[in-house]
Amino acid sequence: MKEKLFFATDVHGSEVCWRKFINSGPHYGASILILGGDMTGKAVVPIIDDGGGRYHYSMQDIRHDFEGDTALAKETRNIRDHGYYAVTMTTDERDEYANDPNKFDELFHSQMRKTVADWVEWADAKLAGTGMQCIVCPGNDDRHDIDEILAQAEHIQVGEGNVLDLPDGYQLVSSGWTNLTPWDTPREEDEPQLKERIMGVVAQATASPERLVMGLHAPPYDTNLDVAPKIDWETLTVKGQDTAHVGSTAVKEIIQEVQPVLSLHGHIHESRAAERIGRTLAINPGSSYVEGTLSGVVVELSGKSKLKNYRLTMG
Amino acid sequence: MATGSAPEQTLFVRKASGLVKGWSGGDGFRYSFFSVNLFLAIWSFAYACFFPGGSMFWAIVITAIFMVLEIIVYSGLISAMPRAGGDYVWQSRIFHSAVGFAFCAVGWWFILWLWTPIYADMGVQTTVKPIFRILGLNGAADWLGGRTGIFISALVVIAISSTLVAIGMRAYAKFQVFAMYVGLAGVVVLGILLLATPGDSFKQKFNAAAERYYGGDVGLLDLQKYQTDADGLFVYDDDGAIVPAEGEKYDGAFEAIEAIGAGTGMPTSTFEGGFGKETWFLIPFMLFWMGWPVWGATLYGEVRGAKDFRKNIYQLLGGLFVPTLIALAFLALMTWKVGYQAFMGTMAAFWWGISPLGGDSVSPTAMLSWIVPNAAFQVILIAAISLLLFGWFGTLFLSSTRMIFAAAFDRILPEGAARVTSGGVPVVALLLMTIPSIIVAALYAYSPESKEYGVTIVKLFTYDATLGIVIMFLVTGLAFMVMKWRARSIWDAAALPKGEIAGIPWMAVIAAIYSAFMIWVVYRFIIDPMYGTNNKESGIFMGVLYVAAVVVWLIAYVVRKRQGMELEAVAKEIPVE
Repeated sequence: MKEKLFFATDVHGSEVCWRKFINSGPHYGASILILGGDMTGKAVVPIIDDGGGRYHYSMQDIRHDFEGDTALAKETRNIRDHGYYAVTMTTDERDEYANDPNKFDELFHSQMRKTVADWVEWADAKLAGTGMQCIVCPGNDDRHDIDEILAQAEHIQVGEGNVLDLPDGYQLVSSGWTNLTPWDTPREEDEPQLKERIMGVVAQATASPERLVMGLHAPPYDTNLDVAPKIDWETLTVKGQDTAHVGSTAVKEIIQEVQPVLSLHGHIHESRAAERIGRTLAINPGSSYVEGTLSGVVVELSGKSKLKNYRLTMG
Repeated sequence: MATGSAPEQTLFVRKASGLVKGWSGGDGFRYSFFSVNLFLAIWSFAYACFFPGGSMFWAIVITAIFMVLEIIVYSGLISAMPRAGGDYVWQSRIFHSAVGFAFCAVGWWFILWLWTPIYADMGVQTTVKPIFRILGLNGAADWLGGRTGIFISALVVIAISSTLVAIGMRAYAKFQVFAMYVGLAGVVVLGILLLATPGDSFKQKFNAAAERYYGGDVGLLDLQKYQTDADGLFVYDDDGAIVPAEGEKYDGAFEAIEAIGAGTGMPTSTFEGGFGKETWFLIPFMLFWMGWPVWGATLYGEVRGAKDFRKNIYQLLGGLFVPTLIALAFLALMTWKVGYQAFMGTMAAFWWGISPLGGDSVSPTAMLSWIVPNAAFQVILIAAISLLLFGWFGTLFLSSTRMIFAAAFDRILPEGAARVTSGGVPVVALLLMTIPSIIVAALYAYSPESKEYGVTIVKLFTYDATLGIVIMFLVTGLAFMVMKWRARSIWDAAALPKGEIAGIPWMAVIAAIYSAFMIWVVYRFIIDPMYGTNNKESGIFMGVLYVAAVVVWLIAYVVRKRQGMELEAVAKEIPVE
């Protein structure tokens, strides 16, 4: 029986997607789970405590009013499933956060750490005794300190900067770092530095290219895996209908030079595609976390020099 | 001094990569506007001859109301699952992989092969042939209207459509901007001409143009008069042919079409028939042009702003309402200024094979361009308006390629089906469209002729092209109806109005009403021979398409299972807890 891996990426704080990821092994018959980066959320939704057990919040232009602790728990989960951090606060507290960026940053940071810790705890309980190999590699949007939290997990391996053994002599080389983005995110750098960083990890691998899997958050430049709307870097606004290749030239060069049997990517949610770069099967399963759907890919590690059995999934 | 408070901050966003999506409302509107195509409207107006007791005006109004429901259903699904592949993805996720593939392979892929010669036929009859007549290229016009002419025209359509797909969505969107503005400018000119021309003057100009382009040495004008009974209706012989009044002629071409309208029982006003039974029977014909405001559904995985339910609705409603209002205004004006019976007479003359103008169907654009007795003006005006047709040609294959991509991603089709060149051309998907299209176009042009209607058997399947898509849309309507229960986490995550009526989301109620309407339409197509879909040949044609789709899915199922992949798992939701 050939081993199968399931790869998903960019869940961006969506609790429902995280849970689906952890549960995806039996669903797809996979024994290896890899999350390719950007697991933390992008926004906090304030649930306003209106007093007397009544609350309200707005999400996606819809205002939600509710009452009582049971409803509060339900709505908190609803917000988390969308990839946002739900924080209950008074209107005064909300105004303080709005006016004090540092205070807001502290809030965000604490929410991020707490959520990752909760997720790890939940995953450890689910994965215990299953024999499933679960690897999580942070991405460019994830702050560095979440690596420590992930490292404390009993049944999760941290991918960042590591070479991890997979079954049948395969090895996984991972990095969540990307080329520069307009958002100045925690793990991004110029192409030469990025190439040096990734090649430094690749150098530690002992598997032949036929047994080497790369999990690199940035997709290779000028492929179907890296097409995104073109934006103005100054104003961060979308410019008309134009699209652009925004992947990494370093990643492209590394794939061309090393020719791993498989390279797995994320980062560009809209660019869900699979493409061959020489002998390498390069895949970006994209992300639809906002919909509560886990985009992924199942790949059979056939042992052959060219992987053919894979399918993109939406679970 | 005015007072006010700042809007409540409802979201705190940190610095992280990602974009606020923002596909312009204009692009969505234009794609929808072109899909509810005014040239398709002209084509379906011709079919209204088969229910002369119905009011086309009110049939359009009723159809528009139901299409608003369609827009709500599709906007909801696009918002909840904005994926390349549209209907296929929704149906396969909400129902089953096989269901999604069977209905959508037929609706978004196979049936589009049949649309190819229909596009070509429309281009020839409404634009190219009238221009050739004006230019005196009668040999070329006759050849184009013949079997080989239609086939070659279909090849041209394939070339144009493939090119528009190959240049990419962005370039195509730019072309649509140009085509829409020029085409609509032409429509405005046409409307002004019609408004400014008194009825008698129109008759004179029509007769003069008919004489100039078909009469005299051209020898194509045939003013043969036909016998009528006591009710003023034509007399038919035992073979169903209209009996000529030997030796008698109509005074002019306009009088001829007016008489043909009366003799074939066409209504005298577009309002005649009200909301009666035959008006409802016209609705399946109207869907031929009004059914497609959601034609861009398979593309929404690639467009920004797709998760915005209301934005989707506004775009699609604009795409529906603008051409609908133009069509309604046109019909009202024809009733008022030209005479509706004469207008319908031009259509009936074509179907009954007694067109006084060399057997041509008289395109409304050509007919109204004749108001200005200047050949160059007429050609420019017809050509300008034809951009509303040519701007739409890319939609023939563009939406289909995305369904093929989605099926390839799911590994129902081989990986190669989703292959694109370095320039972004979906080369394999295009071949999967073009090669069968050539075969179907050949059948459309060269299959045996129906004795009853005087057109080829495959041309009689014209409304199968609508039926196949209507069935697919129906299944999508049912999918949205049960989405809350069949795809719970997607429903919960969707930014849709979630209000309920007796515990049932009103979105599901809307989907149920829409689905019921589509079931009725399918029922009409199946039981009524007037739509050309209720016959053995049509049944075989549609049956073969569905069987082919199921066979492809079964082959994929077996192959993937041998490879250790469960095809159904692709479409199933992963457990959350």
